[in-house]
Amino acid sequence: MKYFLTIGERNREVELTERMGEMCATIDGREVPFSYTEVDQLGQIALILDGNSYAVSIEGDEASASVTVAGRHFQVELENERERAARVAEQGSSKSGGTVKSSMPGVVVDILVAVGDAVEAGQSLLILEAMKMQNEIKAPAAGVVQKLHVSVGEAVSNGAQLIALKGE
Amino acid sequence: MFKRILIANRGEIAMRVIRTAREMGIETVSVYSDFDRAAMHTRMADRSVALGGTQPSESYLDMDKILKAAKETGSEGIHPGYGFLSENAEFARRVEAAGIVWIGPPADAIEAMGDKIESRRRMRAADVPVVPGLVDPVAEAQSAIAAAEEIGYPIALKAAAGGGGKGIRIVHKASEMELAFRTAQGESEAAFGDGRLYLERYLDRPRHIEVQVLFDNHGNAIHLGERECSIQRRHQKLIEESPSVIVDDELRAQMGEVALRAGHAVKYRGAGTVEFLWSGGEFFFLEMNTRLQVEHPITEMVTGCDLVREQLRVAFGEPLGYDQSDVRFQGHSIEVRINAEDPEQGYLPSTGTIRNLRWPGGPWVRVDSGLYRGLEVGLSYDPMLAKIIVWGPDRNTAIARMKRALQEFHVGGVRTGASAALSVLSDERFVDGDIDTHFLEQLDLTQHEPKMEDAAALAAAVHRHRLARRRALSDSKGNREGWRARGRAFSSPYAGPRSADPSQQAPELRS
Repeated sequence: MKYFLTIGERNREVELTERMGEMCATIDGREVPFSYTEVDQLGQIALILDGNSYAVSIEGDEASASVTVAGRHFQVELENERERAARVAEQGSSKSGGTVKSSMPGVVVDILVAVGDAVEAGQSLLILEAMKMQNEIKAPAAGVVQKLHVSVGEAVSNGAQLIALKGE
Repeated sequence: MFKRILIANRGEIAMRVIRTAREMGIETVSVYSDFDRAAMHTRMADRSVALGGTQPSESYLDMDKILKAAKETGSEGIHPGYGFLSENAEFARRVEAAGIVWIGPPADAIEAMGDKIESRRRMRAADVPVVPGLVDPVAEAQSAIAAAEEIGYPIALKAAAGGGGKGIRIVHKASEMELAFRTAQGESEAAFGDGRLYLERYLDRPRHIEVQVLFDNHGNAIHLGERECSIQRRHQKLIEESPSVIVDDELRAQMGEVALRAGHAVKYRGAGTVEFLWSGGEFFFLEMNTRLQVEHPITEMVTGCDLVREQLRVAFGEPLGYDQSDVRFQGHSIEVRINAEDPEQGYLPSTGTIRNLRWPGGPWVRVDSGLYRGLEVGLSYDPMLAKIIVWGPDRNTAIARMKRALQEFHVGGVRTGASAALSVLSDERFVDGDIDTHFLEQLDLTQHEPKMEDAAALAAAVHRHRLARRRALSDSKGNREGWRARGRAFSSPYAGPRSADPSQQAPELRS
């Protein structure tokens, strides 16, 4: 099985195959000797790769994993071949102005724009209170406000749609 | 000494007080919200009293409930920790009026230092240097713009009743003032119920250096040296160290003397911290924190002085029993705060349930924490989960020790700032001591480490592969492979303390 990984800006490919009951791996086409042992059911992994030992911690699901190696954190997005093909097809078919989403759970305390307003990239759109701090949520790009998905006083979760912008 | 004290707090600081109290033979009483039924401080105290509620206002901020718990348990003193009611003069007065010892400074000192405007007036009168700025607060943006012209940009807008980085905005030009003023005022009103703001000059490349002081009831006062807390973001500290690389014996004595003068000016008692901003060889009074600080352990590590023990002794009326010449500084100590935040996404708060935990250990590594498996990290409480503290004979050894401790440590279920701390400690400028309070904001976190990335990529792929296979197997009913029959559940086996179901309520008192 081949997996396509995105780590930050970089793309990596890992292929896993089972041979005689043993799992073999290639990373970007290079075959690597490894041993992967789950320590517990909580995310601790004993990983030996190329003879080097790594105490790996992992949390996440099939699409996205948070991996920590010796205190360094890697956010890994994963796809198999079918998922990748489906995403590429979808990207080609639609081109939207975009929706500004909440990157944290919080409460909307103020909305600074109205439907129909033209906004510049970086302009503050609304103020979200989280962890007792007021955070300005800014426009990722220039556009026109098409829809407000939230109102003042509303509690929003991480990833919630806030404001729809129409690209210019 | 006290027979029994109540700790009006939660998390790592409640644990910190419990530990010293127990060593001194003092019984401890914890109070807890519904959310904290399974918390460390609830379990580790001698007695625990349920306050009910999940929000801080219904529990750790509810003076009536806490005073009632103290009376019912026969507590002779109340230790407020930091945050919550620790700097609430009204609470300090009510505690004393109830015949209970307030393990903290006098209410008048809390009040004088808690109001930043009043404290600056008092400090000017006591000949303590303060940052150029307005003495009186302003209530609206237009007067702020006018005042800023006189002081000169950049301007720092600060909440008159503020602390902990809330209600602070930096304004570089007049056009930014209005929005900054509005958000700072909103934050200040929400956090402190007081929307007044004051303005001051924002200093160039400032370093945050604070001095620990200790006053008893018998006229004795000492300082315990400085802590440098310049590695911070949005005024939330990440790394603290003692001593500071820019403070020599002469400057230490000078800052210590000024800090004691600041304390005397408000008739201070107990442990406190005088914060200074250092810029280009000058230092200015910033504020005094009239409580135990989060970063107090690094002072304990270099002086050998248990600050909680000293707080309890002084509150009980004992004299310090030593003077400044008895205070010795040895080696170097560093603390890293482990906050639930995502450094790769601008340090936004991170929430989740803690499952995966691996602690650091080894020589001269100390962990102060209230963390446990099953803890739900939400938005209602402070995001600080733990503090890692190390000591070394010199700064380089301490840095190396902290790096290896952070490599051993892992908290899974939320993102933490530990990886950013590791980047700071590995940065050449930090190692050279060339830092200021903007260092963290400017730090590039996108380092490429190919070998570790290979390990991460492989681990993520195998993890996914196994998850998919496990799911495929569990989907087919009747498939009873050995490993599955033993019930290897992937999801957390820990039930979170989320419901407020009355039948689940813990009993009022547990001894």
